[in-house]
Order: sequence, then C-alpha cells, then structure tokens
Amino acid sequence: MKVPYVDFSAQFNELKTETLEAIQSVFQKGDFILGDAVSEFENRFAHLIGVKHAIGVANGTDAIVLALKILGVGSGDEVITVPNSWISTAAAIAFAGATPRFVDVEFNQLIDLNLLEKSITPQTKAIIPVHLTGRCCNLPALRRFCDDRKLFLIEDCAQSVTSSFDGFSAGTVGEVNCFSLHPLKNLNAAGDAGMITTNSDEYAARARTLRNHGLIDRDNASEWGFNSRLDTIQAAVLLTRIGKLNDWVHARRKNAAKYRHGLKDLAPRVQMPEDAHSEWNTYHLFVIQCDHRNLLREHLTKQGISTKIHYPIPIHLQPPGIKLGYSKGSFPVTEQQAERILSLPIHQYLKNEQIDYIIDEIKIFFTKHAG
Amino acid sequence: MQKQTVRYSYLRQQFDDCDEILQEIKTLVHSGKFTLGPPVAQFEKSFAELIGTKHAIGVGSGTDALKLSLKAAGVGYGDEVITAANTFIATAGAINEIGARPVFVDATPYYTIDASKIKAAITSKTKAIMPVHYTGEPADMVEIMSVAKEHGLIVIEDACQSILANVEGKNAGTFGLAGGFSLHPLKNLNVWGDAGVIVTNSDEMNERLRLLRNHGLRDRDEIEIFGYNSRLDSIQAVVGNWLIKKTHEITARRIANANRYDELFHELEGKVFMPCRRENVKRVYHLFEFEVDETVRDDLYTHLRDRGVEAKIHYPIPLFLQPGLKHLGYKSGDFPATEKQAKRVITLPVDQHLESDQITYCFEQVKSFFKK
Repeated sequence: MKVPYVDFSAQFNELKTETLEAIQSVFQKGDFILGDAVSEFENRFAHLIGVKHAIGVANGTDAIVLALKILGVGSGDEVITVPNSWISTAAAIAFAGATPRFVDVEFNQLIDLNLLEKSITPQTKAIIPVHLTGRCCNLPALRRFCDDRKLFLIEDCAQSVTSSFDGFSAGTVGEVNCFSLHPLKNLNAAGDAGMITTNSDEYAARARTLRNHGLIDRDNASEWGFNSRLDTIQAAVLLTRIGKLNDWVHARRKNAAKYRHGLKDLAPRVQMPEDAHSEWNTYHLFVIQCDHRNLLREHLTKQGISTKIHYPIPIHLQPPGIKLGYSKGSFPVTEQQAERILSLPIHQYLKNEQIDYIIDEIKIFFTKHAG
Repeated sequence: MQKQTVRYSYLRQQFDDCDEILQEIKTLVHSGKFTLGPPVAQFEKSFAELIGTKHAIGVGSGTDALKLSLKAAGVGYGDEVITAANTFIATAGAINEIGARPVFVDATPYYTIDASKIKAAITSKTKAIMPVHYTGEPADMVEIMSVAKEHGLIVIEDACQSILANVEGKNAGTFGLAGGFSLHPLKNLNVWGDAGVIVTNSDEMNERLRLLRNHGLRDRDEIEIFGYNSRLDSIQAVVGNWLIKKTHEITARRIANANRYDELFHELEGKVFMPCRRENVKRVYHLFEFEVDETVRDDLYTHLRDRGVEAKIHYPIPLFLQPGLKHLGYKSGDFPATEKQAKRVITLPVDQHLESDQITYCFEQVKSFFKK
C-alpha cells in the first residue's frame, strides 16, 4: 500500500470547481495586487482566529520580519526563540538586525517556560514562542511573563491555525502574531502566503503600510517598507478553503486519536503527543518519538509509507547558528529529539485502512527490534 | 470628437483568452508542485535566454530582486548605495532593507541617473551603484560601468521597468554583477501577482541567490546561511511562461505606439516637451512620460481625466522629499532636475493593447487643453 505524506491531488478534487472559478474570477477582474479577495480573506481570517485585525503578507517568514519591524525590534536587540523550529523564525530575527537567543524545549516540543528567566538579558526585547506541530504554547503564562518584564510577545503560529491553550487561541495573545499559509499547511494556499494578526489598530495600520513599500497612498511614503503582499489569486484560493478548515482539523484529530489508540501498546518505546483537555491541538504534524528512528523510517519507506523529520538538524547546529556561538550540548532536549522524532502522515484525506497499515508496520518493526 | 475611455490598465484585454493558462494552472494545482515547481525552472531558462545571461533566478517581487542581489553581492549594514533620486520607492526601500543607506543622484533629461554626478556622491562607505532603467529608458551604462570600475564599486541594475531595453545592443540588466526585473501586473512582461527575476552571468551570485531566496537551504535539512523566503510562485511562472514568448512583440507594439505619439506631439512643440530621445539606445516605454509647464500640469491631468483618458503622474513627490524619509537629511533644492520633473511630468497609456484611434484621441485631448 502507498501512503503519501500529503495528498494535494485529493484536495484539488475536493474543491476543483471552486478553485478554478476563484482563479478565473481574479483574472477577469484584474485586481491582482491587494484586490477584493485579499480584504475579504483578511476579514474571514480575523473572524476565524478571533482577533481584531488580520493582514495578508507574502509568506510566514515575512510575517515575522514585519512583526519585528512594527514593534521596533532591531539592531542591538535580542529576541528569544526556540532552536527546534523551522529556520525562518531565527532568520527573521537576524534580518531585523537583532540576535536570536535560543531556549530549549520540553517533551512536547514547545518552549520550556522554566528556562526563560535565565535567558533574559538587558538587551532582550521580545519572545517568539513557536506553536510547533499544531500545539499551542501556554499563552497565559507567556503573556504574564512578558508583561512582568516589559517584553513583546510575538506568536509564531505558522503551524497552528485555530489551535488553542486553555481557551486562548494561537494568534490572539501576542502584540503581533504570524501565520504561514504555505501549500503544506493545514490552511494552505497554492503558493507562498502569510498572515499577521493583531488586536492593535496602530500595529495593523503599520503592517498594511510596511507590506506595501511604506506607502500610505500611491504617492506618499510614511517610512521604508517592504514588498510583501498576499497575492489576490492566493487569497481567492484560500477563500474556497477557509470554510473547510474546521472539518479538516477534525479529520486530523480523528487520525491522531486512531494512532494514539493503535500505538498505545508500544509505550514507552514509542512516545506520542499527549492529548490534554486544556489544549486544542490541530495536528499540523503527528510526531512520535522513539529510538531506532532512522531504521523505523527506512522500514516504513520500504513499505511505501512516506514520513518526514521536522527537523533533523536543530537551528543552533546549522552553520548560521554555530556562528551565534552555540555548539553540540547547548540544548540537550532539542538535540535528543532531533534524533528521535518522526512525523507520520496525518492529513485529512488519509483513509482508515492507511492508518491501520501504518500502525501495523510500526508494530512489525518494533517486534523485530524488541527491547 | 466623441468622448472615449482610454484606460491605463489593459489586463482584461491581455488575458481575454487564457484558457491555456487555466489549463496549465489546473495541472499544477493537481500536482501540488507549488514551491519552486517545474514551471519556475522553465521560466528561468526562457528568461535567461531572452535577456542573454547565463542565469536567471525567479524571486517574489522586483523589490526582492534588488534586495537579494545586494545581499548576495555582500552589501549590508553601514554601506552606502548610490541610486537615482527620481525612482519608485522600492529601489531605495530594497537598499534600506539590507541595512545600507541610499545616496541619491539627480536625473538626466531622459529620467535616468546622471552618470556625470555619480563621482561627487562617492564616499569611503560607498559599496555599490544601483542605476535605474527608469520608464523603459536604459541608463548610461557605459559611463556608469567606467565610474564603477575606477572606484571598485559593485553595480546592481534596477531593470524592473526595462525588459529588453538596451544600450548599443547590450541589454539592460547585463552590464552589472546582477540585474533585477519585476513581473508585477503593470509591467511590460507581467504575471497575475507579485513576481520578480534576477539575471547574472556569475555562477557564484547564481548559487548565493538560489540559497537566499529559499531560507538559505542547501537541501531540505541543511542550512548554509540565513536566507529569505522570496520565491517566484509556480502559478505565476505558468502565466510568465505563456507570455514570455510574446515579449518581443509587446515591446515592438509599445515602441510603435510611442513613436506615433512623438510624431503627433510635434505639433505642440513649445507646449509639450518630450524627454531627450538618445541615439544608440533602445527604450521600451514601460511608461510614456513627457513634460509640460508646471503651472498647467495638474490642470492638464484633470482635463485628461475628465475626458476619459486615464493619465498618471509618476511620481508627484520625489523620494528625497517624502516626510517618512526625512532622516536621510535631504531637502528641497538638493536634486533640482528631479524636483522640476516631478512638477512637470505626466504619463499617457502606451501599452500593446492600445488602439491607434485611442492614441489619436489622447493626443487630441492634450491639444484641446492647450487651445483653451
């Protein structure tokens, strides 16, 4: 049996007519740059997240670059984030002229709040927690921590559209928050796309200016800006999908429950993300942690099952991270997880028999690698 | 003469019959190869062939094309980059984005950077020159390259408005270390959203640019440098692939339209001032701009708009006088030619879909204004 990691073809078939009509309607109007579909999608997205403003930008990386710029974080400042994220979080900080400072994560792959305090220096200006894999960090605790120390909170929600913790939704608690709508995300465009969310009128206005060359109208520039706009075509595609997201998330959660049930006998050799009542995990990824990870992956590949590793080399051990002064041993949990994590297919088009097949193959592997 | 509407944007006519594009997009969406998919590689190959460079790299926008080129060339914090005072904000914005400082130089009577004034703007911090091939008019590249060589400066060309413009047969974008192009919906070669391309003959630049546009990734897991996310969308590349074959034809139509305007406007000599038309260059008329006395410009603009001609002003407030950019320390009087042009210029539609009676109509409306 073949189990692909993602299934774009299935998604296309689900919304075939809608997608093509949406694209066609944009080119018929010709409003390719910041057209009607962009503002319509922004409204829908703000409503979905439960935030006052949503501003469409070119991609998730740019969303972080703009967020830092809006908050005035730049040269000489330090920004705290995690080393187990996608490279963009740290790169965006570096491009803002600031220095990324990493803090290790917990078993759940999210920032370890207990380690925050000792990472703060007089130069620290902001914290960017990453809601990795579809799990939302402890937002009320992070908010309190930042308020007490007068730091900005910027949520990296690239993997966590509609995730929440204790009723606090990802993208509603930080001053300015960042989403990616890349083709591989739960809510995905047909190309690069990103969003910024904020409850502040002032920050929203700055985001709109900054994404469009710093222009307040065609002829007047209020500051240096960027060219980072959500394409109208992508907004039109996203509008056909946003109404489906809730169903897709439920399908992903159902798949996760199926894995959890099917693999529970392999504990503690195979560790799975726990499902706490206080959180709404949207399962962008379903990550298991185990020994013999590479062998397991090889076995699954041989059986036609496609898996991924998010991510095998932590940022602090990549050349630009080493330049920041980090080395092996700097973040033991992250480093250990990099050897043990494996992302299983979790997308909304998986069939029950495919999940059963994956579970069986994992069991077969561990029977061979008993002990 | 009966009232007509001469619209500025021609996107509706341009994509009137585009079932082919939609079919290709359908295939792409089905395949899911959205990020740097096969249409991007195909477009890059065609673009390099069109311009005549070894490499072409698709990126997110024209602005990013300039930003990434500067970054790849090693320009950054504390450096100064010399550019034209009369450009669109994106040129200077790109310089600012990588932490460098834009240093302006005044414009020639044909709206490009005045090469004779570059030397005076060079300081110990100057790292690069970014000439702008503005309106489709190529800058004086021979002179600029010679100044750059003498002072050991990098040249990155802003060719966003000037695809297939040339100086003595050599294309805009091919003189310097790299050239940035925009494929924005209003450009001569355009797609359905933001997109840009960089051309270069340097293998080293090509390699660095490909890393920089895609998070600095050597492969999926290994990061060589901190990079950006600035990719040409595969969907946009599909549109680009469809249109790129027509670039020469589009260019020829625009030039023919401009020549027709030039002929007609002879009649208004002394009232309408055409920019100096140099020999030995090919201008591709992204914009058809001319000047009138500053006391009548705004009235002419209103007159044309009232009569259905969608005239434009590119741009009424020069960058160095923008309130948001005050910190650069420039003031009125620093760039007299640019300042004067900003008060005098007006732009008429010149695109490839313009009909010959629309050109006549536009001209007649300018003429009727001066009769009053």
